[in-house]
Amino acid sequence: MSRMWQVHELRDRYDAVIIGGGAHGLCCAYYLASEHGINNVAVLEKRYIGSGGSGRNTAIVRSNYLTPAGVRFYDASLKLYERMAVELDINVMLSQRGHITLAHNDISLRTMRRRAEVNRLQGVESRLILPDEIKQLCPVLDVSDRPRYPIIGALYHPPGGIIRHDAVVWGYAHQADAHGVHIHQMTEVTGIEVSGAKVTGVKTNRGQIKTETVLNATAGWCSTISAMAGLRLPVITSPLQAAVTEPLKPFLDVVVVSGSLHVYVSQSDRGELVMGASVDPFPSYSSRGSLDFAESLASHIIELMPGLQRVRLMRQWAGIVDMTPDYSPIMGFTPVEGFFVDVGWGTYGFKASPIAGKMLAECIATKRTPDLITPFSLSRFNEFDLMGEAGAASVGH
Amino acid sequence: MSNTLLFVIVIGATLMLVIGGAVTIAITLYRANRLIVSEVVLPHLEKVMGARLPSQPVELINRKEEMRFTFEGNEYSAFKGDTIASALAASGIKIFSRSFKYHRPRGLLCCSGHCPNCLVQIGDEPNVRACRQRVAPDMIVKPQNVTPTLMWDLLAPIMRFLSPFMPVGFYYKTLYRPKWIWKVAEPLLRAAGGLGKASHSESPEDTFDKQYLHGDVVVIGGGPTGISAALSAAGSDAKVLLIDENDQLGGYLRIKAEAKDVVDELCASVYAHPNIQTLTETTVTGCYDHNWLAATHGDRLYKIRADKVVLATGVVERPLVFDNNDLPGVMLGSAAQYLLHLYAVRPGRRAVVVTANDDGWDVAADLHAAGIEVVALADERERAACSSAKMESLEAELPVFWRHIVTSAHGNTAVNAATIAPLESDGSLTTRRTRLECDLLLVSIGWTPNTGLAYQAGVEFGYDEDRAELMARNMPDDFIIAGRAAGTHMLEHQITEGALAGRRMASAAGYGDAPTTSEWTFVQEEKKREVTRSSQRTIVKGSSKRFLCYCEDVTDKDLTTAVAEGYDSIELLKRYSTISMGPCQGKMCSMNAVHLCAHANTSTVDETGSTTTRPPMTPISLGALAGQNMEPVRITPIHDWHLGQGAKMMVAGLWLRPEHYGNPTEEVRAVRERVGVIDVSTLGKYKLTGPHVPNILEKVYTNRWRQLAVGRVRYGVMCNAEGIVIDDGVTARFDEREWYMTTTSGGAGAIYEWIQWWMQSGWGDGVQLINRSDDFAAFNLAGPKARTLLKELTDIQLDNKEFPYMHVRSGVVAEVPCRLLRIGFTGELSYEIHCPASYGQHLWEQLLQAGEQFGIMPFGVEAQRVLRLEKGHLIIGQDTDALSNPIAANLEWAVKLEKDDFLGQRSLLRVVENGLKQRLIGFKVNETGPTPEEGLQIVSINSNSKQRKIIGWVSSCRFSPTLNQVIGLCWLPTEIADVDGAEFIIWREERALTAHVHHGAFYDSNGAQLRS
Amino acid sequence: MLILKCPNCGQRNVSEFRNGGEYRPRPSRPLDADDQQWSNYVFFRHNVSGLQKEWWYHRNGCGLWFLAERHTKTNEILSTFRWGPDRTE
Repeated sequence: MSRMWQVHELRDRYDAVIIGGGAHGLCCAYYLASEHGINNVAVLEKRYIGSGGSGRNTAIVRSNYLTPAGVRFYDASLKLYERMAVELDINVMLSQRGHITLAHNDISLRTMRRRAEVNRLQGVESRLILPDEIKQLCPVLDVSDRPRYPIIGALYHPPGGIIRHDAVVWGYAHQADAHGVHIHQMTEVTGIEVSGAKVTGVKTNRGQIKTETVLNATAGWCSTISAMAGLRLPVITSPLQAAVTEPLKPFLDVVVVSGSLHVYVSQSDRGELVMGASVDPFPSYSSRGSLDFAESLASHIIELMPGLQRVRLMRQWAGIVDMTPDYSPIMGFTPVEGFFVDVGWGTYGFKASPIAGKMLAECIATKRTPDLITPFSLSRFNEFDLMGEAGAASVGH
Repeated sequence: MSNTLLFVIVIGATLMLVIGGAVTIAITLYRANRLIVSEVVLPHLEKVMGARLPSQPVELINRKEEMRFTFEGNEYSAFKGDTIASALAASGIKIFSRSFKYHRPRGLLCCSGHCPNCLVQIGDEPNVRACRQRVAPDMIVKPQNVTPTLMWDLLAPIMRFLSPFMPVGFYYKTLYRPKWIWKVAEPLLRAAGGLGKASHSESPEDTFDKQYLHGDVVVIGGGPTGISAALSAAGSDAKVLLIDENDQLGGYLRIKAEAKDVVDELCASVYAHPNIQTLTETTVTGCYDHNWLAATHGDRLYKIRADKVVLATGVVERPLVFDNNDLPGVMLGSAAQYLLHLYAVRPGRRAVVVTANDDGWDVAADLHAAGIEVVALADERERAACSSAKMESLEAELPVFWRHIVTSAHGNTAVNAATIAPLESDGSLTTRRTRLECDLLLVSIGWTPNTGLAYQAGVEFGYDEDRAELMARNMPDDFIIAGRAAGTHMLEHQITEGALAGRRMASAAGYGDAPTTSEWTFVQEEKKREVTRSSQRTIVKGSSKRFLCYCEDVTDKDLTTAVAEGYDSIELLKRYSTISMGPCQGKMCSMNAVHLCAHANTSTVDETGSTTTRPPMTPISLGALAGQNMEPVRITPIHDWHLGQGAKMMVAGLWLRPEHYGNPTEEVRAVRERVGVIDVSTLGKYKLTGPHVPNILEKVYTNRWRQLAVGRVRYGVMCNAEGIVIDDGVTARFDEREWYMTTTSGGAGAIYEWIQWWMQSGWGDGVQLINRSDDFAAFNLAGPKARTLLKELTDIQLDNKEFPYMHVRSGVVAEVPCRLLRIGFTGELSYEIHCPASYGQHLWEQLLQAGEQFGIMPFGVEAQRVLRLEKGHLIIGQDTDALSNPIAANLEWAVKLEKDDFLGQRSLLRVVENGLKQRLIGFKVNETGPTPEEGLQIVSINSNSKQRKIIGWVSSCRFSPTLNQVIGLCWLPTEIADVDGAEFIIWREERALTAHVHHGAFYDSNGAQLRS
Repeated sequence: MLILKCPNCGQRNVSEFRNGGEYRPRPSRPLDADDQQWSNYVFFRHNVSGLQKEWWYHRNGCGLWFLAERHTKTNEILSTFRWGPDRTE
């Protein structure tokens, strides 16, 4: 039985060090090695690979964003997901079963139309649908006027769906490893050495590493890691909770999101309902989880699908997410030479992993920012040139 | 495509059925002999004769009350007090479910609500634990995930055939090349997955609710330790909540006939104690921050604030992993005891008991006493290592196999034999085997402390290698573990430890004295001297499938393979193999998995750690978590009037508002030509008083306020520090000291908090800000006849000279004290009338009555949207978004960048310096035709490539009945927006719609109507 | 659920409060700030995993904006106190 990835001694020098062994970091390592011939790469993971956001998200993929730049970016990501299983040689179980975002008032219906129009003009399949069609796609939804917030329409995004998130992590780890990348688990970064505004090395609990290139691909720790390089970020870190129910026979064929009710739900292939909500009401690095979350999640699910009252919640957990002021990530160069960031992913990081990793690899290898990620640079905050995703991403699953 | 899919599915399924069927027949014939005796004759005998024993001393059933229920369509009887599981077991039922992956038959295993083996569907409720659910008359119980029946599940032979091709994580390694395969396979995998069926009902039940509880000391677990803790804490005068998941206290003592009197006595003291509130049949499911506990009691969720917690939740018996350890008839020793003592059900007729502790001897003794034949008692230990009087007497009566362990269970759908093997001195298996015919194989080899809640509370555990048990390493100040959950197995130690723990927590809560260190240390030392209760052994290797995880059908081989593939940390192993992720939440498998992982990595249990224990500890219904539907609805003082007039109501944030009263176009005409009135009570309304009110206004608004004269009103825009528009509204000055601010309906709460924040952190300046939003109703009376109408109801001087545009007056209207703001969102002569909310409906009706002669119409939000659009007014949140600054939103006239200091100023200066990219501007559609929907995109079309590039979007658009034209507001690049009349393209339904920029208001652009 | 001590009302469930983010004094003369300093104030945060001084608002209570010192990793609240021009510690 061959291992998916090997265990290595820590070298004292790497051409690039990627901090964070999640889907983003491993993907970037994979592309650095496979497309840019940079193989002497270390991925440093404080715990085990995929232990952060990559393994805690609700595994929804979609590209129905609001801004043209956002749509282009996430569409490119979805296209990479579509060929990932064959490329990485692991079944990531992509299930493009359709994604519907419910509108409960005229304001959200207007935003849905705006998204549908932008999506279609960017070549992404999205359209507004009315309660009759919603009921057809998802019979368990109550589309009557009984609920406090009746459903008046939805944005239907057929290519959206779910995926096996852990398999994405393992697939990238496997292929990065096959291309010579060193994956170091249980390896915590304790410092970043900067000399003359240039990165020169990384300190870890297992020893020092010399390197001129460091990528901060962490979530929940991105401010901490950046601070080691003397950099402050426009980021607020908060818990994002999720939960699953006991397994049920398949009855929910689409991903259902309600922005107004702050809830999203899909049914995994194993039959569990995978559910989430918006970020916690106050910032924290604690992943303990709260009863408030479970209560409000349940009440909103019941509001949408009253038949599920006797379905049991089996497990709840929390991930830690980094929110930026404009609900968009930060990718690319920083004022510290050789220190790159792939951070600020808020609640939408997982669905971007393939394209983010690929673009960051290109950015690191070519020392220029690829067009696709130019709008997401750190400098946009100094230039007051923010992204406009808030309307689509605030409960963006 | 769908035809092909269907074809492949049908062919595939048929093929599997045929092959699987053939294999089953062959195996069945081969095993026919034994099968007939043990799996047909014996169960039949049970069915006919029943497995119910004569009355037992501590039984919970009431034999006088009998009821009927159905399982899988067959009728069964039960006594009052029976669980579904006990009633079915009493009728000889052995198979309760089919396993998740392989569809292997599964029977009762734990009988304490932990394992997944007895999950059933009751009516619309999926995944009910049959061993905890009491039978109700005429209950309809069905098995889950079987096709078609439990006994003859078609998927079982198919899965048996396929299982060699389905190793751990097989779905990661197959079914993706070529790509279309997955599209075919996924629906099949999905159909095979899942357990019970969810209901599609659209009428929620209203049986769920919530209750808050408090306790100085909350004791979780009502066994001997918990009772002792509760009594001692209550004795210290603390208010105690004692919670137990069973319907009576006593814990494991409930099954001990000899302890009945003691338990009764203890229960009586508990119930008699004024400081103790006891909650039975209540399961604590989570321990959250600051001892915030969740507990369920039927359909009720208790939310408990515990000052201190004593955790006395006892233990969960640990299964042993050996060949076919999942066959029906293989049970945990404690499970058999529950059936026997509490429900007087004979768990089997011929039993083999496998043990490694004295508890197993108790099990054997109980069986023996109940007349069940004990074929063998196999004890892993050396004879010399154990001794007790009880043991010696039992040894004389039963065949005891010292230093033996079970290696395999045999049978097709239930146990018909077990093989045991002697052990070498080093603990390894010898090659000798003894096969014993039996229909019950009981395993009692160790205990896992039930400490999930402690993990959640932040307690860390270490593994005690000698005792083979987890022990707490640290303890927070407000939480303590005692009793069997803390590794204390002897009753007298449990009582002492419980009492000390209770006193300790009571004292920490401020009641009585804490036990001395020596008292505490003494009992800790005492319990360390107890004989070990748990075996080091977790797995007995063999040649068949051995299950660690009953929920997900994970075998030891699966885990070993996974570790070898690199999934070598316990968390990766869990995610890859799905072990501990099923309905038992790891209670049956976690400990064994950690051992296996440690062994495979040649590391220790401590180094391996464990997976994080997450709430809820016991699955909890969404209905209980949701409780009663408590979604708030905000309504204005004249809500009922609106409903009475047949208004179509719309959701606006928390508010319900009339969208229109039947004909919004007519409503617009009424306002333009005559007079109309709209309920705007939803607006935010604040009173500001103090000599320095202008100072705060200057800061929070973008325009000037110092010079605003008494009696005047001014429009203002607010920005945040980023320079983004957050609200707009008007503010009036009544006199030197008193001002009145209105905000948008949506901003009513947030803007109040926003201004308070700045005032309370340095900008207060002696100003008082009071939120009067709910105290006042407000109506906007608008239209050319507004003044004439109002004159009928008030003495306030209304003439244009006396009360001009953008002025405020106070006075009496229709005998109601009112404030009148002469403002013009609609573009007509209009008065916004604010009055005390309690007079709202009266005033509203008076206005309509007086307006009758002028043809007044009430108008709703829709008409208001058209009216304001004709006037070119924007709506914050509709025409602006999270990136809109007031300059780009065409509100430059209301931004005084040269002012001293205001919120957003510095950022807006930057925006101006950068230059605007886009601007909000009015437009008219060139042609007559459809009205573009709001949200449509504005594009530029490359004449060569025909490619469409998004350059803007439509934020408001309506057909204007006044202008007989389609008008709107949109965001456009400044170079287009700045040119009055510039044409651009709105993209609608794959078609270009030409429109052109319109500067200024569409209606009454010089404001003559407003000022009339 | 966390318990937070309002300086006016005493200990209450955190659900009564609204969090106002980390304490960041506004530059007293924003117009004197250069672009970099201003964007630092507006967008950038220390966002520490550790002890944070932050704003809370007693929304379902007395309406006081006050400061708390909270450990963002453990959610332990060390102290809560009123804002004062001289006292922000």
